[in-house]
Amino acid sequence: MWNRKERYHISSVEIGQPLAAIVVPEGYTGIAVVLRLNDRPVGFFMQPGERIGVDELAAATLKHAGKQILSDKLYTGFGGAIEAGRSPSLDVAICTHGRPDALARCLKSLAAIGLPCEGNRVLVIDNAPQDERTASAVKDHPGVHYILEPKPGLDFARNRAILESSGELLAFLDDDVVVDHCWLEGLREAWAINRDAGAFTGPILPFELETTAQVVFERMGGFGKSFERVRFSNTLPESSTYPIGAGLFGAGANMVFRREVLDRLGGFDDALDTGAPLPGGGDLDIFYRIVRAGYPLIREPKLLAYHQHRREYGRLRHQMWTWGLGTMAYVNKSWRQDASYRPAIRRWVWWWLCYQFSKVFVPNLRRNRVRWPWDLVAAEVAGAIVGLCGEYDRSIARIERVRRNLI
Amino acid sequence: MKWKVVSIELSEPLRELPVYVGYAGLHVVFFQHGVPLGHCQLAAAQLPASPQHLANHAAKAITLAAGDYLLEEGFRSALPGLPEPLLKSPSKALRSLIELPNSVQELAQHLPVHPDSPLTVSIAVCSRERPQELARCLASLAELSEHALEVLVIDNAPQSTRTREVVEGFPGVRYVLEPRRGLSAARNTAMAFASGSIIAFVDDDTVVHPNWLARIRQRFVDQEVMVVTGLVLPAELETPAQQIFEHNLHFFHQGYRRRRFDAAYFAAMRNKGVPVWEIGAGANMAIRRRAYELGHRFDTRLGPGVFGGCGEDSEFWYGILAAGGSCVYQPSACVFHYHRRELGELRHLVNQYMQGHVAALLLQFVKYGDIGNLRRLLVRLPAEYAILLLRLIVSGFAIDYRILLRGALGYLAGLRFAFRKPLRA
Repeated sequence: MWNRKERYHISSVEIGQPLAAIVVPEGYTGIAVVLRLNDRPVGFFMQPGERIGVDELAAATLKHAGKQILSDKLYTGFGGAIEAGRSPSLDVAICTHGRPDALARCLKSLAAIGLPCEGNRVLVIDNAPQDERTASAVKDHPGVHYILEPKPGLDFARNRAILESSGELLAFLDDDVVVDHCWLEGLREAWAINRDAGAFTGPILPFELETTAQVVFERMGGFGKSFERVRFSNTLPESSTYPIGAGLFGAGANMVFRREVLDRLGGFDDALDTGAPLPGGGDLDIFYRIVRAGYPLIREPKLLAYHQHRREYGRLRHQMWTWGLGTMAYVNKSWRQDASYRPAIRRWVWWWLCYQFSKVFVPNLRRNRVRWPWDLVAAEVAGAIVGLCGEYDRSIARIERVRRNLI
Repeated sequence: MKWKVVSIELSEPLRELPVYVGYAGLHVVFFQHGVPLGHCQLAAAQLPASPQHLANHAAKAITLAAGDYLLEEGFRSALPGLPEPLLKSPSKALRSLIELPNSVQELAQHLPVHPDSPLTVSIAVCSRERPQELARCLASLAELSEHALEVLVIDNAPQSTRTREVVEGFPGVRYVLEPRRGLSAARNTAMAFASGSIIAFVDDDTVVHPNWLARIRQRFVDQEVMVVTGLVLPAELETPAQQIFEHNLHFFHQGYRRRRFDAAYFAAMRNKGVPVWEIGAGANMAIRRRAYELGHRFDTRLGPGVFGGCGEDSEFWYGILAAGGSCVYQPSACVFHYHRRELGELRHLVNQYMQGHVAALLLQFVKYGDIGNLRRLLVRLPAEYAILLLRLIVSGFAIDYRILLRGALGYLAGLRFAFRKPLRA
């Protein structure tokens, strides 16, 4: 349904330096820009065209990051930032399944910020591997621990990581992300003033925008690119359905937890994020439970990662299906286990359906005013309906079989 | 669900914000040297808030207003109905933003100061049978950082002597009786009696900020400015009705950034309908005496006590703009308003406001012939109601639907105004 091939060039601009025009290399149809001020990420925007002049870049920077820049300055002026002091011990877990090249790239980005090192381990959880490729990829990275988890399912792998880890903090990265060079610094700063937090998340930007599917996904909002510093608690005065729309907190591709909190909450739900046919919802579920249990959840802009989106349009459509499915499986579970929240959950599901409608038919009512391709929305809604109709129960039955087969 | 309204002065070091027992949360308004810059809501679960967390909340809440005061370009408030103003020089604007020091003290230097001005101010409080509220308001007027030339209380069509008795308790406050019923008549009488070169109106159910008068006076140094309106902050948010009024209805609150409505704006919006009600609120406005001398009056067919619950203020501003004068919204001149406490009262108020609004649009159309008023009345308002209805459905009826209903009924009732005798005559 997209006739034009789209391919955007991503560049990073340090706006503290004098600006220069950006011209994309041959073959690109648009420009995406990551804006940083004194190395701190402050904004992101993308627009079609092969060139962006200095004045246009300045105007776009003001539009997309002006508020954030000033807000950061005021925050510093009020004495918000404090010395990081002692660093927490951190384990980084990467759960992977048959993607050795992506994994190697992720490990390389961690090595660039000095991970693993004394007190901070990197664990690769190889989930139900069919070959040795992941194991041999890990061998090239000294100091990285290889752990085999035979039960297929992302949340089995994540729970295994909880068992194996010993740090105060435990980070989960997807194998298809790379971390930004200020990721660790951002985590330490956020932890310094939020030692009571249950979880930390950060923005997720596109790693590449080489195909139409990647451009479309990112233009529709991607994984959310807020560069605001937020401390979420169990209430949000402006919203009567918070925290059910847990996508607001972040995504499972880039999240960090206080391990003790994960232990106390019983870890991830094995029946969500099981890989096909239900590869989603586990991150939303853990965010929801953390916030509902009263632990603050911190969104820190420097905890930045780049995600390689689905390259093929067909796989993007399938991803939207799984998002709908996973979201509603999680909602179904919350409905069952959090009885006092049922009225809010019911309202949220209704709102969600109306919201999907608006994505296609009334884009002007939405904040970014982008009309979604109808087939993606249809896939998400179809997934949601299947998700609402007992997917969580089916998934529980499936993982019971997985457990039995392997014991 | 009681919320506590708290003010924080940012020129002092931030301290931990404690838990307030019995309150669901805090509505925190941030001031710098007495200038309101923004607010945020903190639920009880977010308290106590450490100085660092408070710094984050404050920084986010005041960003837009701080940008408005600190920078030439980039943070100016768009005028209602118009797009964001275009940047003259984006590169220069970005440079000045980036070069701002990380200091809040810098902000203090850019805040408006009090220039010496020969202008004298008469304060007018129009009141009708609300002695307790009036006494509270008059007490706050006594605390102003600079004194007014005079304070007038206009007692509008009284049924008892209670207002007079209250005024007698405040030496120096002048009592003026206006037997004709209606806020418009009372306001006109105030302008006729006032001897200052500016007449500043506050409602009797407000209390004023100590710098209120100084901030108003300084804005009139500009000779073209005929009207200055100011920010109306909530004095308390103790009941659901008050919270809905403040957070959902936005009748009074026009933000923390300055705005200027002039003849060019009027010309640009004339055909679409000039949204004069977004200039400010009659609860906090000041008028240059010269406007009265030029013949501007509050229309006595409109306003509380005559028809509907509002409209006389915005219709007056419409006349000012139509005659080429300017109206300025000056958020630093702020008052605190006690919203209606009961949901029943609030629903009635919404109904009355809508009637007044419809009547004002009709009258503006008749008086000035601008088709935009009819467009607003017959197209935009019904469309807005349709959107509200949709949002009500989408939110799963999370909003009090009876408020919406009473508003819609108010719209219909307001149309009666078209058939009133003096209008057709």
